[in-house]
Amino acid sequence: MSSFHLMLPEYLVVGFVLLALLGNMLVGNRFRLASWLGLIGLLSSFVASASIWSHSLQPQVMISGGVVVDNYSLLVNLFVLLAGIGAILLGWGERRWGQEFPVLTMISVLGMMILGLAGNTIVLFLGIEVLSLPLYILSASEHTTAGGEAGLKYLLLGAFSSGILLFGLALLYGALGSLSFIRFASLANTTSPLLWAGFTLTLAGIFFKLGIVPFHMWVPDVYEGSPSAVTQLMAFGTKVGAAAILLRFLDWGFYLSPQWWGPALGYLAVLTMIVGNLLALPQTDLKRLLGYSGIGHAGFLLVGVATHNLDGARAMLFYLLPYGFAVLGAFAVLILVAGNQDTVTISDLKGLAGRRPLMAAFFIIVMLSFAGIPLTGGFVGKFYLLQAALFANQPGLAIGLVVGTLLGLGAYLRPVQALFSVADESRATPVWTVSGAVVLIVAVIGTIGLGVYPTPVVHLVNQSANFFWLH
Amino acid sequence: MIPINWVVGLAAIIFAIGAIGVMARRNPLIMFMSAEMMWNSAALAFIAFARQWHSMSGQIMAFLIVGTAAAEVGIGLAIIVTVYHRRHRLDVDEISGMKG
Repeated sequence: MSSFHLMLPEYLVVGFVLLALLGNMLVGNRFRLASWLGLIGLLSSFVASASIWSHSLQPQVMISGGVVVDNYSLLVNLFVLLAGIGAILLGWGERRWGQEFPVLTMISVLGMMILGLAGNTIVLFLGIEVLSLPLYILSASEHTTAGGEAGLKYLLLGAFSSGILLFGLALLYGALGSLSFIRFASLANTTSPLLWAGFTLTLAGIFFKLGIVPFHMWVPDVYEGSPSAVTQLMAFGTKVGAAAILLRFLDWGFYLSPQWWGPALGYLAVLTMIVGNLLALPQTDLKRLLGYSGIGHAGFLLVGVATHNLDGARAMLFYLLPYGFAVLGAFAVLILVAGNQDTVTISDLKGLAGRRPLMAAFFIIVMLSFAGIPLTGGFVGKFYLLQAALFANQPGLAIGLVVGTLLGLGAYLRPVQALFSVADESRATPVWTVSGAVVLIVAVIGTIGLGVYPTPVVHLVNQSANFFWLH
Repeated sequence: MIPINWVVGLAAIIFAIGAIGVMARRNPLIMFMSAEMMWNSAALAFIAFARQWHSMSGQIMAFLIVGTAAAEVGIGLAIIVTVYHRRHRLDVDEISGMKG
């Protein structure tokens, strides 16, 4: 396959970004056109990624090791494109966010796709920035005081964390003399203070993006203040991108020296799972609750990285999908319930079970998937993570995972309980919209499908995790 | 010829000043400027190491950092100006309303 064909998913997104920008300039009814172009662009990129996928695809290294197309990068493409399509559908017809919403969403998705491809630190840095810069604008696009605050916080902490990441990358380059992940593995066999400092700073920068506990302060505020569709993109897409680059960076670059990072990652994973789910308990704002739940789930993902075996990598990649479906479903309900409001609190959900039984039932399913109840995808994902932690002889991780799950159960059952309490008569009954219904139904089918019959996805994930052995 | 350690030491000092600036100052403009200083210290370190290793990739990275920083400044100043329009005060402690 030619390199053009292999990079076609990325080129398609770039092409449709340019088309949508042109369309925004030339055509009268701009918002509709840009949304359609965004949807078609991301869907065609999704189809292109799926068509490149094959069992026998050998990793294709391009641009002097900077870009690697393999089943891993294609799986990341599929996940983030799902998140992007969801964001565009959830923001369908929302004129408040302006005609640039679909364009910026596409650029941000492109950044997440680049993170899946990255094979050296230049592409890592570019991917993180292409992901973040449009999200700064998007998170500030709600015209409320909370919107401006969210944008400002995200911008300042994002620039700060990128600075830490960059200095870490510079020190790594100074210690090893190379920018390529694969070269790192053969060079990083002696410890020097320079190498150690660079490695720590780089990890801190990536943890900021992923929302791991000592670096998580920005997550709830930014999630609360951003438009809901954008929050969905951050919760699903950014997490996929950051987790993908973390796994590739550690398992390619520092595969031979897990004693540096394995224990530290394990402690952070346990801390993140417990703190994230614990802080989710008292929240009343639904987006804020989902923000803390996102922190907790970042901890679950970190378990898969910290185990440092193939099972862990597979379990982490698998867990991204049920988490993503649950995020899509939860935000679809949140947007349908919100109507023209900016925020949704738990009390806004009161009486939904009586007024919109189907919507309430779907919401219960995605919340149970978050909590990890059997027959939902979340249960299967947590099961694989637990298995990986036990296979790796790390019972501490397994205990942390169980405690985090139990705490999460409390947090997710509160909104479910509100569904059945007496409705506030002054609140209008939520109205179904076509785009919201499509996202919600896909999310629920995905959640239950993964819980009942996960085998096809497990096969995909197992193939894509094979990058682990390539050195 | 300037020893490599001096240049890297300077980069580390600039990085530390930037990091302290972000954490200690309360004006978003100054905080943003401090964050940009951290970026520039990384660019300086990359160039120094590129000379040490006699490879071009560090210099390429430095150019990319400068270009990306320009894009980030464009976006960042726009966001700061929007917030200022709504509040007419620039202090992150006052702007911060979301808690919990």
